[in-house]
Amino acid sequence: MYLTREQEKMLNGEYGWAVAKALELIVKVGEYLGADKLVPIMHAHVSGISYKNIGEPGLLFIKELFRGGGIARVYTTINPGCVDLMGSSRIISNELLGKQILVNEYLEKMSMKPTYTCIPYLHRPPAPLERLAWGESNAVIIANSFYGAMTNREGGPIALAAALTGYIYHAGLQVMDNRVVEKEMVLDQSIGEELYGALGLWIGENITGIPLIRKHRLSIYDAKIVLAASAASGSHGLIVLENITPQNTYRISDKVEKISVDVKDLRKYRGTPPSVGEEVLFYIGCPHLHPSEFMFIYKYLEKQEHVNKYDFLLTIPRIYAEIFSREIEVLRRKGVDIAIGTCPVVSVLSKKYDKVVTNSGKAAFYFKKIHGIEPYITSLKKIVEMIIS
Amino acid sequence: MKHGLGIKIIIDGDCEAPLVLLDRYIGFFGEVDPVKGIVKPENIHIGGKALVFKGSRGSTVGSYIIYALKYYGHRPACFIVKEAEPILISGCVLADIPLFITRDYDYLVQLVSSIRNGVVRHVRGEEYVEIKEL
Repeated sequence: MYLTREQEKMLNGEYGWAVAKALELIVKVGEYLGADKLVPIMHAHVSGISYKNIGEPGLLFIKELFRGGGIARVYTTINPGCVDLMGSSRIISNELLGKQILVNEYLEKMSMKPTYTCIPYLHRPPAPLERLAWGESNAVIIANSFYGAMTNREGGPIALAAALTGYIYHAGLQVMDNRVVEKEMVLDQSIGEELYGALGLWIGENITGIPLIRKHRLSIYDAKIVLAASAASGSHGLIVLENITPQNTYRISDKVEKISVDVKDLRKYRGTPPSVGEEVLFYIGCPHLHPSEFMFIYKYLEKQEHVNKYDFLLTIPRIYAEIFSREIEVLRRKGVDIAIGTCPVVSVLSKKYDKVVTNSGKAAFYFKKIHGIEPYITSLKKIVEMIIS
Repeated sequence: MKHGLGIKIIIDGDCEAPLVLLDRYIGFFGEVDPVKGIVKPENIHIGGKALVFKGSRGSTVGSYIIYALKYYGHRPACFIVKEAEPILISGCVLADIPLFITRDYDYLVQLVSSIRNGVVRHVRGEEYVEIKEL
């Protein structure tokens, strides 16, 4: 692999132990993936920071990087941790608070932004063809598919290494020749909002390579749900959305296989509605709520006196604690459980449930896998209607 | 008797250690206890050993588990695998564990199974490992 003089110096330890280790990590993985060189990035997004997931080994390594002189050389955002940063959630457990705060402190001391969200594009929307090194599969697929930026699905250590060096290997989706559509999906026009989570799960499980979705009516909010689910059940990093994905950020192969998706294909991914007597959690916020989604829910519930008939959880980026402090307080008083800078995918739950009702295919996938809770997928609007019925 | 076996070097380093074979893929997160240095459920200690296995699978947290093996004093002497992937490579860089891809995994498994107390020797820069019976 070709390395510049600066990169050679980094590798030889002239910028300290942490930078040397970080660059070695990128070079070794890059060589294995066939990279010819390293490329500079504009933004790193570090995932794999929830203490519940990385435990003591992850904390130890992050601490070593900090002690070894590590500091973010590019703009770096941080994924959700495993605790509610306002400490008021009754659904997400704060039992690992002390350990998570330690992880957070080391990351912040290395100049990473305390965003604690899985939608880093909220803080800094990337430009088309801009190079990134993002962890967190849902953010990666939005960066490539919606913004036309270039990033692979990086694991936690690699995204961290890219933050400390400012470089990533030139392979995979960083290379235009690998951003080639080979499949074309035509959606059954009767697939509506309630089925977007299930649609994403179906794509993840049944489609390999890079597909293009034609003739759809997906908004950014819908796309967020479809793409996140496909990146959870499959290994997708780019799905081209006709009229949304910026042109010239992908190519279309001469041979494109056509695939049609029918409503009946999606049924098994949707799950069944809750039955009488089941302990049910209603959940929205995977991926974290966009400001307009949060305000939609707020406006809807503002007129209600109480929303405490069911357990209803919202998960949001840390920054909302400042910009939506009043709205958060109003919703909390009504009985809505709001957790900040975290989500159920990376945390411990304080309560046991038989079923989760969510608009997110990704949440459905992980609730079953991690918490053993059966999901039912419907639309955001339907969930809000259900909890006030 | 000595056997020379061709390898592709992913992370280079000297290694001279007893051989341990686990003819399967290992999910380091969940299947390896870094504090004790053992692979579950076989309960095999891998600290200081040359571990032969198919490769890694599962969560990216696996890289941190490999790092923790070193931290807790159970760093394997080297890994010889059928195939590598980014999680395994990252973990080996973090923990300074030499990582080699064998050019003939089936032959290696057959060889390791047929000898007792096998030892692996590798010298930095050489494109092969030596295997001998003690």
